[in-house]
Amino acid sequence: MGAALETTLNRRKAALRPRRSARPRAAVAGCGAISATGAGVESLADALRENRSALRANAAYAGRGYQTTVAGWVPEETIAQLAARNPDYADARAFLLADAALREAENGLPTVAAERRALVLSTTKADILALERVFHRQPCSETAHRHVLPRLLAYDLAEAHQVRGPVQCVSTACISGLLALQQGASLIERGEADMVLVAAVDLVSHFVLAGFTSLKSFDVEGCRPFDSRRTGLSLGEGAGAVALVRRDLLPSPAWTIAGWGSSNDANHLTGPSRDGSGLALAINRALQRAAVAAGEIDYVNAHGTGTPYNDNMESLALRTVFGQDIPPCSSNKGMFGHTLGAAGVLETIVCLLAARSGTLPGTPRLSEPDPVAPKSMLTQPQPAARLRCLLKINSGFGGANAALVLREDRS
Amino acid sequence: MSDIVIKAAGWIGPDGFGNELAGLKDWPAPLADALRRGELEELRWSKLFDSEAQRFARMDWLSRLGLMAVELLDTRFEAWAAQDREQTAVCVETTCGCLTSDAEFLQLARPSVFAYTLPSTVIGEICIRHRFKGPMLCLMSSGESTRTVIDEAAVWLREGEAKACLCVGCEAVSPDAAALLSPGMVLENSWRAYALLLGRKSGDPREHQLAGGTLAEICRRVCRAVGRC
Repeated sequence: MGAALETTLNRRKAALRPRRSARPRAAVAGCGAISATGAGVESLADALRENRSALRANAAYAGRGYQTTVAGWVPEETIAQLAARNPDYADARAFLLADAALREAENGLPTVAAERRALVLSTTKADILALERVFHRQPCSETAHRHVLPRLLAYDLAEAHQVRGPVQCVSTACISGLLALQQGASLIERGEADMVLVAAVDLVSHFVLAGFTSLKSFDVEGCRPFDSRRTGLSLGEGAGAVALVRRDLLPSPAWTIAGWGSSNDANHLTGPSRDGSGLALAINRALQRAAVAAGEIDYVNAHGTGTPYNDNMESLALRTVFGQDIPPCSSNKGMFGHTLGAAGVLETIVCLLAARSGTLPGTPRLSEPDPVAPKSMLTQPQPAARLRCLLKINSGFGGANAALVLREDRS
Repeated sequence: MSDIVIKAAGWIGPDGFGNELAGLKDWPAPLADALRRGELEELRWSKLFDSEAQRFARMDWLSRLGLMAVELLDTRFEAWAAQDREQTAVCVETTCGCLTSDAEFLQLARPSVFAYTLPSTVIGEICIRHRFKGPMLCLMSSGESTRTVIDEAAVWLREGEAKACLCVGCEAVSPDAAALLSPGMVLENSWRAYALLLGRKSGDPREHQLAGGTLAEICRRVCRAVGRC
């Protein structure tokens, strides 16, 4: 990074003034997850404890000329179980996954009137499998066909989960998940809802495999985030859900969505800026909104796709914000792949699980850390000395960057 | 009384193009029929296409229309945009998003098309052209939710997260893409785009306040122009 740029960023950092808001805060009341690690948050917690990679090849997609079929595939038996429980949506895979994650997140929560419940959906391609079937004139239920359009998937999820308040659908590349959490928290802060169900889902399909193959973006053996031998990413499919409620509806302590920020690199459509300045800007915006100093962050969950450019850019951005004292950090994409529109929410759930267990996640499939990577990059899980403030970051196509700060509130 | 105002508005659609100062201009006769039929290839715009012809040729129509609507904002936009590009946000709403590029990619997988199979790519194009680095958001909305992106923009402005916000709505649905929509879905308009520049009140008499009749009127005009009354 150029010295001038560093100086500019440091000056901006110094100019940031913490601010506290008197408005209601959004707190996390429940989580749900389905990924390559299996169904339910506990299956994800198990995989985190074991630092296990669930990436695998998929014979059903072999022989089609893709760079690789290694990805974070949701087990077919999990899909079959969900379809059996929900026969009206049997071929509506995106709905099945998101609905199951939402049911888990909502389980045992306080009752909130339907008019005060909102839903924010994050997705990049919604039911892309349905789109492929429609295009190839293969059988497709009317329900799945509707879900070709993300907003209709959002409306159907809202109806299934008794939501009569605002419904939003965020589709902003791979930062969609963090923006959906931001939108959910904002709805609560603005008094437009008492509970917001944030759901995120994306599927692996021929479309996305062909797309990333055309860009030669894959690591054929499976991604190795921040590893010196990394060559690319691995896709993943799955769904995550976070139920946000007004902070005063939960007992203490509770984890709040304390701050968020986004930015655009204004540089390139499919590649990140080389100096990480855009991501640093988003992180600083999130810290400012949360009124949290960089030194208060206890853990960073990185985007960490495993592409050479992304991981370099991210390392530079973290160095810009934290200097030489980068907090412990890790990436989960070697575990369940890059879940695109679901990534921000699933990886935020990883942060919350780390807080619950007091153990920082490792970085599956990272064995030889790149010299450029932060020295605090964790290869294996390790006990945390303190977990009060957590930072989640994502970047994506179109020069998109986003950051979210989670803070434990004991008041 | 709101302190957030619309600084400028521009729109483009089958019935014409314009901004809030010049009003709606009709397409010239030979072009009008083709554009009403959705034949966008007939649409050429020297202001954009000549200067960066190669770049525009690569773009999908969602991005091209979004950029055109932004270009239709008058010179006050240029002045605003130059003030603080790092603090200018971009908020996009679209109903069908990138379905046209999806259909094209399904026909033939090419990296140049794949980059446009995200509805938010138009934000990247706008930010690259104008070097905006502020907050960004792309919402997949229903036809009547223009108010949502304006609301989001107003929140960003009030909370100091941005000094100006560009709200862009765009649709570009080719016949191939329309064929992928579920039965019963009626498209009011297969293509259109609008851009609104929002900022804090500065005293310029041409500013349109976000609350009150003036905004309602400008929104009605934008909606009429883009066929979304």
